Formats: sequence, C-alpha cells, structure tokens
Amino acid sequence: MADAPLTFSESWYRVANQRLSLRPSVKVQRQWYRGERWLVLQDPLSNQFFRLRPAAYEFVARLRPERTVEEVWRECLERFPDEAPGQEAAIQLLAQLYHANLLQYTLATDTAQLFQRHQKRQQRELRARLLNIMFLRIPLLDPDSFLVRTLPAVRPLIGVFGAILWLAVVGVALKVVADNFPALRNQAEGVLAPDNLLFLYLGFVVLKALHEFGHAYFCRRFGGEVHTMGILLMIFTPVPYMDATAAWGFRERWKRVLVGLAGVIVEVFVAALATLVWVKTGQGAVHSIAYNMMLVASVSSLVFNLNPLLRFDGYYVLSDLLEIPNLSQRANRQLRYWSERYLFGLKKAENPAHTRREAVWLTVFGIASGIYRVIVFGGILLLVADRFLLLGILMAAVCAVAWVAVPLGRLMVYLASSPKLDRHRPRAVAVTTGLAALAIGFLQFVPLPHHFRAPGILRSRQWVEVHSETAGYVGSLLTRPGSEVVAGQPLVQLANPELELQLAGAQAGRAEVQARLRQALQEAIPNLKPLNRLLEAATKRVEQLESDRAALTVRAAQAGVWVAPQVEDYTGRWLPQGSELGLLVDPAGFQFHAIVRQEEGDRLFAVALSRAEVRLFGQAGQRLSVRSFQVIPGEQSRLPSAALGWLAGGSVAVKPDDPEGRQAAEPFFEVRAEMGSGAEGAALFHGRSGKIRFDLPDEALLPRWIRSLRQLLQRRYQL
Amino acid sequence: MNTPTQDYRRTAFHQPERLLKGLDAALHGVGGAYRRRAGVLAGLRRQAEQVDALAREYQDLSNHHLQERLLECRAHFRRGGRASADQLVPALAAVREAADREVGLRPFVVQLMGALALHRGYLAEMATGEGKTLTAGLAGVLWAWTRRPCHIITVNDYLVQRDAEWLKPLYHFCGVRVGFVTGMMPPDERRKAYVCDLTYATSKEVTADFLRDGLRVGPLRQPTRRLVRHLLRPAAEGADGLVMRGLHSAIVDEADSVLIDEAVTPLIISTFRANDALREVARLAHELTQPLRPETDYWVNHRYREVELTPVGRAKLAELCAPLPGLWRGPSRRMELVKQALVAREFYQPGKQYIVADSKVVIVDEFTGRQMPQRTWRQGMHQAVEAKEGLPISDPTETVARISFQRYFRFYHRLAGMTGTAREAAAELWQIYRLPVVTLPTHRPCVRVQYPDRVYPSEEAKWEAVVAEIGRMHAEGRPVLVGTRSVMASETLAQQLTEAGLPYKLLNAVRHAEEALIVAVAGEPGRITIATNMAGRGTDIKLGVGVAARGGLHVIATERHESGRVDRQLFGRCARQGDPGSAQALVSVQDELLRRFLPRLVHGQVRRWVKAGAPGAQAAAEAALALAQRNAQRQAYKLRRSVLRTDDWIEESLSFAGSETG
Repeated sequence: MADAPLTFSESWYRVANQRLSLRPSVKVQRQWYRGERWLVLQDPLSNQFFRLRPAAYEFVARLRPERTVEEVWRECLERFPDEAPGQEAAIQLLAQLYHANLLQYTLATDTAQLFQRHQKRQQRELRARLLNIMFLRIPLLDPDSFLVRTLPAVRPLIGVFGAILWLAVVGVALKVVADNFPALRNQAEGVLAPDNLLFLYLGFVVLKALHEFGHAYFCRRFGGEVHTMGILLMIFTPVPYMDATAAWGFRERWKRVLVGLAGVIVEVFVAALATLVWVKTGQGAVHSIAYNMMLVASVSSLVFNLNPLLRFDGYYVLSDLLEIPNLSQRANRQLRYWSERYLFGLKKAENPAHTRREAVWLTVFGIASGIYRVIVFGGILLLVADRFLLLGILMAAVCAVAWVAVPLGRLMVYLASSPKLDRHRPRAVAVTTGLAALAIGFLQFVPLPHHFRAPGILRSRQWVEVHSETAGYVGSLLTRPGSEVVAGQPLVQLANPELELQLAGAQAGRAEVQARLRQALQEAIPNLKPLNRLLEAATKRVEQLESDRAALTVRAAQAGVWVAPQVEDYTGRWLPQGSELGLLVDPAGFQFHAIVRQEEGDRLFAVALSRAEVRLFGQAGQRLSVRSFQVIPGEQSRLPSAALGWLAGGSVAVKPDDPEGRQAAEPFFEVRAEMGSGAEGAALFHGRSGKIRFDLPDEALLPRWIRSLRQLLQRRYQL
Repeated sequence: MNTPTQDYRRTAFHQPERLLKGLDAALHGVGGAYRRRAGVLAGLRRQAEQVDALAREYQDLSNHHLQERLLECRAHFRRGGRASADQLVPALAAVREAADREVGLRPFVVQLMGALALHRGYLAEMATGEGKTLTAGLAGVLWAWTRRPCHIITVNDYLVQRDAEWLKPLYHFCGVRVGFVTGMMPPDERRKAYVCDLTYATSKEVTADFLRDGLRVGPLRQPTRRLVRHLLRPAAEGADGLVMRGLHSAIVDEADSVLIDEAVTPLIISTFRANDALREVARLAHELTQPLRPETDYWVNHRYREVELTPVGRAKLAELCAPLPGLWRGPSRRMELVKQALVAREFYQPGKQYIVADSKVVIVDEFTGRQMPQRTWRQGMHQAVEAKEGLPISDPTETVARISFQRYFRFYHRLAGMTGTAREAAAELWQIYRLPVVTLPTHRPCVRVQYPDRVYPSEEAKWEAVVAEIGRMHAEGRPVLVGTRSVMASETLAQQLTEAGLPYKLLNAVRHAEEALIVAVAGEPGRITIATNMAGRGTDIKLGVGVAARGGLHVIATERHESGRVDRQLFGRCARQGDPGSAQALVSVQDELLRRFLPRLVHGQVRRWVKAGAPGAQAAAEAALALAQRNAQRQAYKLRRSVLRTDDWIEESLSFAGSETG
C-alpha cells in the first residue's frame, strides 16, 4: 500500500487561519464512474474542469468565508476520520483549486505571481501547440449566441423525431449501397486522381463543418455552452473545429456520449443523403460531388472520428462508456505502474486502476494506442514528406523531437532523478538499459531470414512463332492448342479458294505452253527456245502455287508445345500471309526474367543470393523452385514485356510517352532464372507474369532498416 | 522621522532568482566555474599587493589624519557606484592601518585578499587560524560604510559577542557603529543593534527576527504596499515595532555549516496550543506498538530510516484497533500513527538523538552533540518519543511562521562567506546562493602530517586502537584531540579512557564559553580532549610550551563524517598558522557512514576483505569511504534541493494565503 499523504503537515500554518471558499460561479455536478461517485467542479469562465473525490469535496464544500480552514478540516476529520484529507492532502487540494482559479480568498492577490502564472500557462500552451503541430488549433470566434438563436430551428431534429428520420434515411441508404456495391467500388478507384482532390477537400470541409455544428448543437441542446470555434490545421489542411468540452460537466453519461457521437451522427446522415443523390444522378458534377461526400463522410468518420485510439470523438465516447476519465493519461500511468512494480521492483508504486477490469482496459488501451500512434504518425510523416521536401524534413525534425527526443529525455530524467525511484534506481537503470540493450542487440545482431521480391515474366528458353505462310481463311484446327506436337505435325488447316483457282489457271497455262511446244517441234524449230523458257516459267508457277497450297496446312516446324491462345477465335477468318497463329514452345526449359530495381541492385551484386523462388500471379499459393539464376550485369531500360509496365497493369513505372509501354522510367537490372524442370503441377506458360523472391543471407533488422531509410532518402531527395 | 526611502527599506529584501533546471542549470554552472577560475586569485593578490604598497603612506599619518581619511572614504562608499570602486584600494589600506593601531593586529596580505574576496561577494575558503574574524571585520567596515544593513553571521552567541567587542575599537575608529544580537536579548536591544551600521548575530537570531518582523507587519511586508498605504492613510500603523531594517548584505562565517549542513533546518516560530486529542493519540499509538516485534510484525529499513509493517503486523494491528474509536478504524490513519511510534522506537535513541532531562525530551544535535532545548521534532514525532519514554506528553507546538536557512540567505542582496572548507560544495553554493568559492593560500605553509586512515573490522577493535593511540601520544607528551560523531561515542570513549587510566577532558553539551576555554587549552602538553566534531568551532587551539618540538597537536577522528568537509575541519584543528601537527582517522567497517551509504554488496565485500586482512584491503576501504561520502553528499544535496523546490512550490501555490515573505 502506498503511503497516504500525511495527516499533519509542516506547512499547515500557512492555510490554517485562512478564510477561503469556492468561487460563487463554480458549478458542481455529480458524476458516477465505475460505481464511484465523483464531483466535477466547472469554472464557466475559463471552461476548466476539476474532478474531486467525495471526501475531498466534503472538505471543499464546507469552506466558507466565515470559517477558517482549520475549523473545517477538524470538522471533516471528526466526521470522516479515515477518508477526510490529511493536512498535506488538503494543502495540495487547495493549491490545485487555486491554480484552477476556483478558489476565492480574502487577501489581496499577489499580482506579480498571477502574471507569472499566466505567462507560464501561455508558454505551456505554446509548447503543447508546437509539439502537436499536426493538429494545430487556431481559435477564431465565439459561436454561442449564434447557436442559441438558431437552436429552435434545429431543436426538433435532436430528439425522437430526429432519431426516426435518421434511422429511416440511413436505412434506405444502406439498402442502396448494398444494391449498387460494384458500381460504388469501381468509382472508388478514381477517387485519389488529381482532378478529384479539390472536390474531395471541399466535401471534407463542408462535412467537417456540419460535424462540428452537430457537436455544438447537441451540446447546446443539453445546456452546455460552446464558446470557441476555429480552424484546426490537420496535417496543414484547414478544417473547422468547435470546443464542446462543456459536455464534460453533464451529469448524465448518455448525454456526454451523445454529444461525443453527435458529429458522427451528422456525418453519417449526410453520407446517407449523398448516397441517395448519387444513385439518382447520372455522370456529372453533382454525381461526383455526391460520391465524394458519401465517401468522405463514411470513411473519415468511421476511421478517424470513431477510432478511439486517436484522440478524436471516439476516444471521449469510449472513455465515457468505460467510465474511465482521462483514459489516455491513466493508460500511460497504468503502463508505467506495471513497469515500476514488476520491472523496477517498486513495491510502493500506486496502482492507478481501482479494479481488475479497469486495469485490463487501461493496459489494453495503452498498448493498442501506442502502437497505433506510431503507425499513423509514421504514415502521415511519410505522406507529407513525399509531397513537400522541405516541410517534410522540418516536420520530421519536429516529430522526432516531440515523439522521440522528448519522451526519451523524460525517461532519462525520470530514471536519473525521479524521487520515486530513489531506492530502486540501480535496478531501474539496469532494467531499462538491459531492455534497451536487448532490443538493440536483437535488432543489430540476430540475423533473420531476409528476402526481396522483384516482378518478372516467364519465358520459354526456346520457342518459335508459328505463322501462316500463306494467306487464307482459317479452316479447321488439326491439333488442339496446349498439346505436344512432333515436328511436321499439321496444326491448322487454312482454306484459300482463290489459290485453288490460281492453281487451276496456272495448270491450264502450262498445258497450253506444252501444246504450243509440241506444235513448234513440227512447224517452227526456231520458236522452240522461247517456248521452252515459257514452259519453265509456267511449271515454276504451278509448283509455287502447289507448295502454297501445301502450306495451307500449317505444320509444326519443331517439336514442342503448341500454344495458340487466340487461334480458335480465328476460325473462318481471313488471315493475311505472315500472321502469327501461335507459338511452339519447348516445355523443358523456362526462364523467368525478373526486373530488379536499382536500390536492390547492390544486394544482387554484393551478397551471394542463396535461393530464389517464383510465384506466378493467379497461382500465388504455388512456389516454383528455381534451378539457377544469372544476373545480367549492366542496367537496362527496356522491359522484356509490356505486361510488366504500368501501362499494362504491371508494377514497373514506364515512360508515359512510350506507346509500347516498354520503356522503363528508371533503369533496372535483369535477372534470368532457370525454372526447375518439374513444373510441380503448375502450368508454366510462356509470358505469364509473376514475382520472384530472392532469399538473401540472414541479416539483422537494424542494418536493413538503416539501409532502407537511406535508400528512401536517396530516392526521394537525391541526397 | 524616517524618510520614505528608509521606511521602504525597512522590510525590503532581495527576491531570489528561480532555481534553475536542466540545461539552464548546466549553463549557470559553467558561469559559476568561470567565477571560480584560477585567475581570480591572481587578481585578488594583485589588488591586495596594491593595498600593501600603500602601507608606508598610511603608517606615518597621525591618528587624527588617518581618521579623517577614513571618514572621507566612508563618504565615498556611501555614495556608492564608481566613487567607491575607485576608493577601494586606499580605503582598505586605511582600514588595515586602523586595525593595526586599534586592535593590535596587522592584517596579512592573505587577509587583505580575503577581505577583497568578501567585498566581491565570494565565499573565501581560508584555513582555520588564518584570522577570519579580522578578515570579516575589514570587509565589514567597507560594507557598513554604505549604511545599508550589514550582518556578520557567526556560529554561536559567544562568538557573536566576542567578535563584536574585540573589533569594536576598529569599527569605532572607522566611523562604523556596531551592534550585536544574542539569544536572550529583548526586542528593544535588538532594534538598537540592528540600527547600527554593522550587526553581529547568529544565523538563528537573524532568521528569527526576520520571521517575527514578518509576523508583525503581515501582508504589509511588501514595501510598496506599505508605502502606498502609508501615503493614503498617514495615521495607519506602518513599520512600527519592527526590529530589523531590511536585508541587504551579509558576511557568513563558517558558511558551509550554515548554508549547507544546516541549510534545510527550518527556523520555526511557534506557539504551544493545547491539543488533548494528539496527546491521547500519541499515547495510544505507543501502546499499540507494544506487542509488535521487529521482523515478524514490521521490517526496519536502516538505510532510509523507515519502518514497514508486515501483513502479520497489519492483521495484528487491525485486531488491536477494533475496539478503538473512529480515528483508529480506517487503515491509513492508524498505520501512519503506528509507524510514527515505531520510528520513534527504532531510530530515536536516548543519548544519540535526544536526552531526557527534567522529565522532558531534549533534542541533541547530532552534529555538535549540543542540547537544543528550544527545538522540537515535527508534529506528532515529539509526542511519540515522549510516549515511548513514558514522560508526560507535551502539547504540540503550532507553527506560526517558518523558513529554512537556505531560503532565508537567498534573500540577501549581497552575500559573502568564509569557511575553512568549501571546495567540496562549490557547485551547490553557486547553484543555490550564487556564491563563487575562492580558496586562499595560508599565510605560512601548512606542515600538517596527515597519516592515512586505518580501517578496523569491528567497532571494538577500533576503540581499542583509539585508546592505544591516545596512550602512545600521551606518553610522548603530545596533546591529543579526539573527534567523535555522537555524544554516545564520546561517552564510550571516555569510559574506556577512564579504565585505561588516562586523564581527559570531555566536551559535551556545555556552554559555548566554557567549551571555547577547554578547546583553547587543548594544546597543553599531554592533554587529552574528546569532543564532538564541531564542538568549539571558531576557537584557536594554541600549542603549549614545548609541544611544537614534540610534533604538535595530534588529531584523531574516530569516524568519518558524511561530509568530507567536516572531516577536514576536524583535521584543521591541528597544525595551524605554520605549527606542526598530525592527524589520522581510525574507522571501522561497521561505521554508520559505510552501513548507510554503500551499496549493500560493496559494503559486504569490503567488510570481508578487511576482516580477512586481505592485501589491498586498506586501499579498498579507503575507496569505499570516499564512495560512501560521495553518495552521502549527493543524497544530502538532492534533499536540500528538493526542500527548496518544495518551498518554492508552496510559496507559489499558497500565495492565496499571503506570501510568507512578502
């Protein structure tokens, strides 16, 4: 058990004879948290809140200008011998009340001190603002009187009628969404296109304004005052915000929760309306705006606002639902408690949770929000850094200070000088450095399996194209595509009636020349010579046409697999001479041509790649072994197939001005991997694309991360 | 009739700067290191030599002319600014000449350097016996000439009176009025003393007067507020009845003891108030602790002087408390009260922390071994000890005003100090008081022989060795001064000496004047004097006839103190002013210093080595001692700093209750 603050204090004389009381304007509300009664003091002027335990409140409430603090304290001690605050606690309580400007006292104020305090607070706020630069708040107006005047118009919507209307509209919208889901999804792909961003942002601003008014009206409806409205620079994007913290003073929990949810309620309603508009309109600006509104309202409110791990609406709602106020701070305290108690061995550490369940909630929340924050802020940072180089570096610096340096510094100060640790400092320092060393050691020295992937395309090592040597209509398929053929096997039968006619004509011509030759033998010897030549020509033509006719039966030039994906579509079609019918592919040897990016290049050459395997798209479950591979030294810029480039849906950036889509935007290295002979049941087809995974020698994580960070910087900023 | 300015100054004092933290503190520390740099000493010496060079010029002046010169200087100094800066060297030369004529002592160059250092606001580290009193007098004249209130703070009432009276002719000659304040003076006499240009007092008296003045004027201590009010309503009561005339400059003698060792000791003005409830509670708590046994019912943590109840003890306590009234039903309050009673039982021992006299608990200062009949422990603790001793339980004192020396001395506009030992605490003195330390050389080279410490495996072995050593020295006819850490230790030793048949004088909680007399003759041949570490501070031990030839005074420290400064002070009692002398510390591994301030593992290891007489064990023990002292110092500094921070916090947070200091 922790040492309770002492019953007697040496500073008691300072307050003992004072006549103090709460300021008359202070409002007091009773609230219940996890079955415990608390009292919330609210200063309506500064909108500050102060939570008290009943025992402390009993003391504070008894303070009157006509009685001294000493008298009140004694009375409390008599009435509640065990719960009443001791002198030490009473002094602290009074000091806190004084700091929160809730205390009325008779003596003249020490003005210099008041100013000093004000200055200190301003500095603190400024620092907090700078550290929270991603969500900078700039207060502008006081909307309260506006809200009061317009509330009658809105009031009917906040109630049973509003609830029914909301349910009806949202229900219909959900049905619409279900019915049109594919269309919805298709349109989503174009949302982040540059020409849509402005619409998206405008929709966002309007929505967030409505969202905030939702909070404000709900809060006003239940009697809370809303005095601040302004602009929140969310990642440097201005959106409106309102301060509805007056709701914290509400006595009923459902009201607090409802005010917290008000923004999302409004947004979902708007999203529902937008859905209805979207489904009723055809292509056009209205359609597009409606779509954007719908998307922003649902996604942003569900992902951001309702997410309790970020400190938006969802957090406060969850905090109210769990009945754990200051959830985040207390979660941090809880985590600290665990480490103090079990890692540092502080037996006297005070458990901030009062019950087991609360402890579980706090722990889970603490860990989850910690991880989530790292991910979200890391992402935001990269996003911003990607857009604005200088700003990105600046922000990275600020964030590094706020999220790394400051907490680290605090940890150091805490370890070095926290009075709590006085007796356990050696252990605390040892445990902390030990854990840090362990983590760093693990990251730096424990090699982990390591690999990288590259896109590529499968090709047969040997293959010939099958062309039609003669023009003709595609007649019958003599061999089914996909089967193995031997050399000379007929594949396709073409038909060419014109060729037949030509052949008949040619044969007739030859017969005529032969007849004239016979005649000349008898009548005109000198004509023999030219006629002989004529016959030769006619014979050649016939032979030519005959071979052409034979070529109408397309045959395999070599053994292999007959691959002709489109030939069946050609049946009955006229193909000009030289058209490609398909391929004859050698099934024994396939090669995978992989495109390796520059950054990965050094690893290709520097380390001995131990193993690689290929996965083909559409057969991702199947790993295909690679017998050997060979890196083509020297960079290239022409892709082996357009299928790998952006234009054809691949993942390699290509130059936009290349109509073929094979000119890569950045030079790359090509790796040719010999596929294993046994295809292990996978259908190896020439031209299939896939990914190859190179297994690198095991390497620890930290060097890898540092390398990727440097590559990132190098690529993005050419540093 | 006071002028408004004079009236304003009645309660004016310097608002101290905030205590710095983090990088600010580090930067400030660099500034302090600069102020302590070696060049400062050279500068002081140069200036002192300039003063010395003027000696001839002043020696030939008649008394009348010298006095005229002095009054001229006074006029310059009162004007302040450049005029006084230019006049510094001739003024000091004139004061020096006056000292020679009026007191009969001619200040050495080293003393001039000391006076200049004080004038610049330094803490001058001067070896004991170098004439600090006169040095302070020289600087005091310079400061007193400005007519701003100047206090010279010394260790005890005896020295206050002695110094003031000794230097009175000098001050008188220089046109400076001097007064002194001692413990039993009525307010009127105090006022007269403070009205003087220069006032001698102990730190306790000035602080108490400051608090009492504060209580008298209340919120009107704020000079501006009082002045405005006085202008608006001339009839209203102003600064009447005040004793002091504001705080401006102070020269603190034995500054390390006042500013560091006793820094957090609060000075409390209190009244007694009947509180039957608390008396009853203390008695009950004592009764409840009777059945509780260490180890089974509670653990005792010697290192942190704490008691923790075991689950068994708690259960037992709950059972015992069941029939008791309200206050005892809840666990937290009764635990606090019972723990307090247990602490009284475990850590407060008669003879060490207190003695019982006239069926009253009288606190004994652990440092000096002196009785402190005025002092009480904090509320409840005193009663708990009384209950333990079975004495009638006294009413708790109720604090009316309270301030720590640390806070009080930060209120001086101009602070300077002197001590024999300050180097160890230079950083702290700078951070908290903005006092840079400068170490002055001795007038004659010091010929003290410092023998290396001897470490014994047990207390008994140590005492045996101490007695043997004393016997050896006694046989040689050399005087011996033995320093002990507590009254109990000195009594143990006295008993052993009696058994060994050696004659000795025991200095132990007697009046300062007698103390000083005993210490003064401690240098007679063959004399054995046992004293707690700080007893008779500020008094010279003059060597008897023929003692110097036998090697001078030998000092034995029977325990290392938590602070190396206190050790040095004890050793500094011998070999003063070029006399011969020797010093040695005989310690045991069971000493409290090692027990409390060494990590348990290290302590155990050192103990085993020393017990086994392993080679290098002495060196290891030496290192362990140094480490323990460092730990102790660091812990103490942290405590002092946190006390100051807490004070600041309270001052700020409770400003609705009126500022304590204006």
